[in-house]
Amino acid sequence: MSTLAPATFRTSAAGPTPKQRRRRANRPSPLLVAFVLVPFAVESIWVFWPALQGFYFSLTRWDGLEPPTFIGFGNYTELAGDAVFRGALVNTVIWLVLFGGLSVLGGFGMALLLQRERRGVGFYRAALFTPVVFSLVVTALVWRVFYQPDGLADQLLRAVGLEQLIRPWLADPQTALYAVILPALWRQIGYVMVLYLAGLKAIDPALHEAARMDGANARQRLRHVTIPQLRGVNAVVLSVIVIDSLRSFDIVWALTHGGPYHSSELLSTYMYSAAFQSLRLGYGSAIAVVIFILALAVILGYLVRAFREDA
Amino acid sequence: MSDFDPSRRRFLGHLGLAGVGALGASSLLSACASSASGPADKASGAISLQSNLSSPQAKAAMEKIIENFNKQGSGRATVNTIASETYRTQLPTYLTSANPPDLYTWYAGSVANNYASKNLLLDVSDVWQGLGDYPQSLRNISTDPTGKQIFVPMTNYWWGFFYRKSNFAKWGVQEPKTWAEFITLCQTLKSKGVAPIGIGLGDTPWVASAWFDYLNIRINGAPFHRELLAGKQRFDDPKVKAVFARWREVLPYFDPKGKAYPFQEATTALLANKTGMFLIGTFFADAAPKDALGDLDFFQFPIIDPAVPVAEEAPTDGFFASAKTANPAGTKALLTYLASVQAQETYIQSSSGIVLPAHPKAKAADSPLVVKGKAMLDNAKELTQFFNRDSSDALQPTADTALTKFIDKPDQIDAILREWQAGAEKVFKG
Repeated sequence: MSTLAPATFRTSAAGPTPKQRRRRANRPSPLLVAFVLVPFAVESIWVFWPALQGFYFSLTRWDGLEPPTFIGFGNYTELAGDAVFRGALVNTVIWLVLFGGLSVLGGFGMALLLQRERRGVGFYRAALFTPVVFSLVVTALVWRVFYQPDGLADQLLRAVGLEQLIRPWLADPQTALYAVILPALWRQIGYVMVLYLAGLKAIDPALHEAARMDGANARQRLRHVTIPQLRGVNAVVLSVIVIDSLRSFDIVWALTHGGPYHSSELLSTYMYSAAFQSLRLGYGSAIAVVIFILALAVILGYLVRAFREDA
Repeated sequence: MSDFDPSRRRFLGHLGLAGVGALGASSLLSACASSASGPADKASGAISLQSNLSSPQAKAAMEKIIENFNKQGSGRATVNTIASETYRTQLPTYLTSANPPDLYTWYAGSVANNYASKNLLLDVSDVWQGLGDYPQSLRNISTDPTGKQIFVPMTNYWWGFFYRKSNFAKWGVQEPKTWAEFITLCQTLKSKGVAPIGIGLGDTPWVASAWFDYLNIRINGAPFHRELLAGKQRFDDPKVKAVFARWREVLPYFDPKGKAYPFQEATTALLANKTGMFLIGTFFADAAPKDALGDLDFFQFPIIDPAVPVAEEAPTDGFFASAKTANPAGTKALLTYLASVQAQETYIQSSSGIVLPAHPKAKAADSPLVVKGKAMLDNAKELTQFFNRDSSDALQPTADTALTKFIDKPDQIDAILREWQAGAEKVFKG
């Protein structure tokens, strides 16, 4: 933009009337218009249009081969009576609470522990952040080896004399979901920790200094200085957590495919299998719409509250 | 070709959405393929063959066959090989496009019939007039419900209980012929401290469908099985429940760890003497070390009701053609060549796995295992293929859910069959 301003000035300096000059200043520069319109056009073709189409497909029955037939809200009434969908919804809530809650607690705790510069602290930070670097599918392959019969998990339990707990972790409907949450958490904690570390660094040390002068102990400073100062980071973390929970797909698919018999099914995996395995693209689109509304509701709810507090 | 089924499932698992990402690239490819066969002189132009045989040996074999065909002078053809998982998801797009490739590798049976019912496939009954040597069983699975042939088979393979000869000798047991002998065998093996029946359902739950297919064709017969998979019978029918009653008799002899690992590891368990036998298709041998193959043998799924005509699972791979081909004569000439002894022997010699040529006079590999497998299929009164091939890929997940749940909770069989029927109805309804 800054390179543009002199150019505008030069042309207008060639002798136009003051009136013309004002009009010209009000009109946005063509480059600015291009910067807005070109991404908007690209976005429209690749994001908005497919998204709107997704809404339309959710009102149709479509096998991907023949043209879609419009069936109104048929897919949504079917969703309401679908036990697998209800199970997936419950699992998604469990996932949101456990995966989201524990990664916030774990990430925040780790950030507090590792925020002060001590010898070797860089090593621990790096160690916690390393899982984020791996693709989730690679993570899943590693954890699959960990969980396999007579694998590391079973050997560990045997070593401490708890062999009666051994079970086929990923094949047992009681444990499959939790066995998938663990590797997802292992990765997410490092990510949340980095967000909080950045937030903690941004707090003015003078605030802590002043609180300490006033005789506040460590817990009081955490409660009344650190946490209120992190409100901005919390908004980011919450959005990241909710979006990551609802789009969690790869690790579940790579470890269990949502099985055994739908016991670790999430909305995202059910959407995929409905659309691309059962070839019920209309029904899959309806599930996608539900996921979209859930994500929007949670995030909008938080943002509206946050803005109201600011105002 | 024989390793197609498992790799397809595994790719789905490991790549997940990545497969969807690859779609863009493949539609470009298909666009190239169809434009290569160009509209300019389509009627006399080269036939384009769309192939999913993407393993290096199979790809080379197909290219060699096409090269031989071109030398013959009865037409010209090109082959376009595409990664099998991409191919699976893109096949409907190829067939429904305005200017589709002429010929496709795919499966016989209901998958092909489904496309035929939408008038997407070329009637190749002319080609079949020259295939008098082919057995009736192969003709049946290449014929659509209106009575015309729409498919030309190239190869098939078989399923059976595989075991190590040295182990059976060591344990002093023989191959069982009947269900009663089979149960006795399971008891004997269990008393020797071996898990009698290996299985691999973790990540490959579709392997359980082999048990359902075989029990159903042994108890209720192949025609009922086909009708059931086509939606003309119900999964909560008492005849289906009878299948699970039999299955339950041998459930205690299954390897409990089989739920957690895929069939490749179940193969390892069999070779490491941890399990006694393993109901699997010949493609499992791809995951086995070459030196172990000599010690492997198999027996036919035991006969349960001698009154039921014997049927065997023989997943059949081959070709069908687009109804919109601009050069039907040339396409049929190529199909005739692909069905010949010469083309199929070229394929068998160059491919790596255990597969049988569809032409009865084409020479299969001469290992004792292959001879025995071929004899079993030749003696079968009827052939079925496999659950997903006799129904659809869309129905397969409903079977995976029902069967793994049954293996875990056999007491809930009534509820499981009700759920299965409800899930299947959704798939048939679309």
